[in-house]
Amino acid sequence: MAGVGVTDMQKPGKTAERSVSATLAAATCALLGTTVAAPVDAQEEPKWGFNTSLLYYGEDEDRVQDASFKSMVRRLFADDRTLSLGLTVDALTGATPSGAIRQDGPQTFTRPSGNDSYTVPAGDLPLDDTFRDTRVAITAGWQQPAGEMGLLSVGLSASSEYDYLHTGLNASYAHDFNNRNTTVSAGVSFASDSIEPVGGAPIPLTGMLDVDDTSNRLGDQDKDVLDVVFGVTQVITRNLVVQANYSFSQSDGYLNNPYKFLSLVDGVTGDTLPRIPGPEGGPGGQFLFESRPDERTQHSLYAQAKYYLNGNVIDASYRFMTDDWEIDSHTLDLRYRWPLGATSYLEPHLRYYTQSEAEFYRLSLDSSQALPQFASSDYRLGNFDAITAGLKFGWKTRNDNDMSVRVEWYTQSGTVPTAQLIGNQAARDNYPDLNALIVQFSYRFSR
Amino acid sequence: MRNKIAVISLMLVCAGCSSMGVQPWEREVLAREEMQLTVDPVEAATDDHIYFSKEASSGGRGFGGGGCGCN
Amino acid sequence: MGSPCEVLVDGGSGAQADEVSAAVAQEAWRIEDKFSRYLEGNIIHAVNTAAGRPVEVDPETASLIDFARTLYEISNGRFDITSGVLRTVWTFDGSARLPAQDAIDQVRGRVGWHRATWESPLLTLEPGMEIDLGGIGKEFAVDRCAALARDATPLATMINFGGDLAVTGPRAGRETWKVGIEGPELDAAEKVVELRQGALATSGDARRFLLRQGVRYSHILDPRTGWPVPNAPSSVTVAADTCTQAGMLSTLAMLQGGQAERFLEEQGVLYWCRR
Repeated sequence: MAGVGVTDMQKPGKTAERSVSATLAAATCALLGTTVAAPVDAQEEPKWGFNTSLLYYGEDEDRVQDASFKSMVRRLFADDRTLSLGLTVDALTGATPSGAIRQDGPQTFTRPSGNDSYTVPAGDLPLDDTFRDTRVAITAGWQQPAGEMGLLSVGLSASSEYDYLHTGLNASYAHDFNNRNTTVSAGVSFASDSIEPVGGAPIPLTGMLDVDDTSNRLGDQDKDVLDVVFGVTQVITRNLVVQANYSFSQSDGYLNNPYKFLSLVDGVTGDTLPRIPGPEGGPGGQFLFESRPDERTQHSLYAQAKYYLNGNVIDASYRFMTDDWEIDSHTLDLRYRWPLGATSYLEPHLRYYTQSEAEFYRLSLDSSQALPQFASSDYRLGNFDAITAGLKFGWKTRNDNDMSVRVEWYTQSGTVPTAQLIGNQAARDNYPDLNALIVQFSYRFSR
Repeated sequence: MRNKIAVISLMLVCAGCSSMGVQPWEREVLAREEMQLTVDPVEAATDDHIYFSKEASSGGRGFGGGGCGCN
Repeated sequence: MGSPCEVLVDGGSGAQADEVSAAVAQEAWRIEDKFSRYLEGNIIHAVNTAAGRPVEVDPETASLIDFARTLYEISNGRFDITSGVLRTVWTFDGSARLPAQDAIDQVRGRVGWHRATWESPLLTLEPGMEIDLGGIGKEFAVDRCAALARDATPLATMINFGGDLAVTGPRAGRETWKVGIEGPELDAAEKVVELRQGALATSGDARRFLLRQGVRYSHILDPRTGWPVPNAPSSVTVAADTCTQAGMLSTLAMLQGGQAERFLEEQGVLYWCRR
């Protein structure tokens, strides 16, 4: 049994007893023949760790804006056992590309709810401006040593949005070898999500209907995702550590975005086929809801190296991902941590990402051809490059808390394969390029 | 057969590893906070979430992020 | 020092570390040779074999004896450098063999600083009495070596002699030195102390005791009675400005027995007490 006492150094004790430490201090001073030593600065290792951040993410042209609060609390127990709890609250607003193409005239669409319509001006990229949601996500994790060289982690996650509910479980095990210079790890995660789209999930490849016509809407949908990760971490030298991971991800179920649709176009002009709206109002063109396979298998390889160079830290990583939707992607990420004095640093960050389009990516659907089984014009399944450039400034406060602010710019620019452009489409700007600003403030402290 | 190749190459990797690395008293740099593979888990989770909702690839470093209707 | 000793230098080259540790080792050996009660020919041996004659001691020894006298006074006689001879009758081997009161009384006649005459630099002990600076020497050596290291290098250094330790300052980037305090099971650090400045010292040894009829006798002896201090904690660790202060506070706390925690609270120090 161990008792622990921590008392304020200034606490007034009984004078007679206090004189013991005062007399001792004077006697020690005489013995060591030195002036008074610097006062002791010691504390028990903090048991609580708090890590909180505020994030602003904003896309230009009134697209998605997200204000996010994230907090993670860690509690350290005896024998290196750790409990961590996380909370994220996102407040999302703004507009997202609906998937329809630009037209020379104004376009009218039925809202996802099915009970109203909206009109996009001539020449504009059709955006769905009803995107408004609050997302609350929680995570819980437990980590403990398993034997002399093992570390076991288990976790739970759940998140809730207006139209989406996620629950997940994960577990991983890491084992150290070779004087703890090599760590081999394996992890598995399973998520079960349910989707309850506003107005119901549309039947894939059916047309957008008039206001108040819900005949092509289905009930709630489900999706399961299984992830498996294997990793090796290796210390190479005193200044270099590298990691390599292989991960496998299998998604099953409803993988569509229920709010995305494609324009059905004339095979010669490439313009959207007109449609006569009913008396309640409705789309003035023909639009079909997207259709994705109900299964997706992804493989990715990830490698990271961290190198310490005279106080600076170079962090480089590369990821290759390939999936059975025929998307291949490459991601290169570089960070350089550059200390400014003993307690602050600057960290420039550069990230390059490129992906090829999914096999079923289509800018629009050609009415002169048979409909494909799968089609989506979601720009995130298209062919694009993205660059992130950012700068982070971090510093330690006087009471040794860590603060940081980072500002990053994220920009996507994509191209639609020329073979997909029909008639007038070739002269238009078809790909919804994206520019976003990311500002994050983080605060970490321990008690 | 593929499994066998995977096992053999993993063994080769491990055999190669045993000659690398440092002694416990040579870890003063590796033990520094900024040399951990994930320095700030909250920031890493933020990035994973942003890129999950804007790109077709996710994960790699760990599990695939996700758990939202943003994709 | 009867225990593993180490010098840790934060950063720098191997050559710098070798230089610091060589200076520290030399000083540690000098202090050990000079004050060990197991060696013949040193000042302690001269005092302990003087058979009632006064012995003139050098200034360093005199300052240690002055210090010991102060501790004797502030501890009301509990801390006594002449108490070592009690160990001729007490053997703490985990058994139930208690010494006879006769034997204890016989030895007690040769214990007690009040029987010594200290007129610096002359020390006179009654025949049969002995002094032992072992209770101060290790902590003193740590502080001396830390001072040497501070002069030898601007790099932060930790001097650790068997768990009694001092640091010369925070590590680069205001990082802390992390020190584990052993739990009852060996090698399991139950508490981790983050140290930027100052020292830690531990008194007590959970493995040295006697057990008879359900009563546990700790190896901490009260020189005033010749018996173990009742209800002494099995170990006390204290953080203080210097290792000497930390060591003396932990020893004085042990000598308080059941009052150890109360004593430490009154001193207003950071401590860890194990019972």
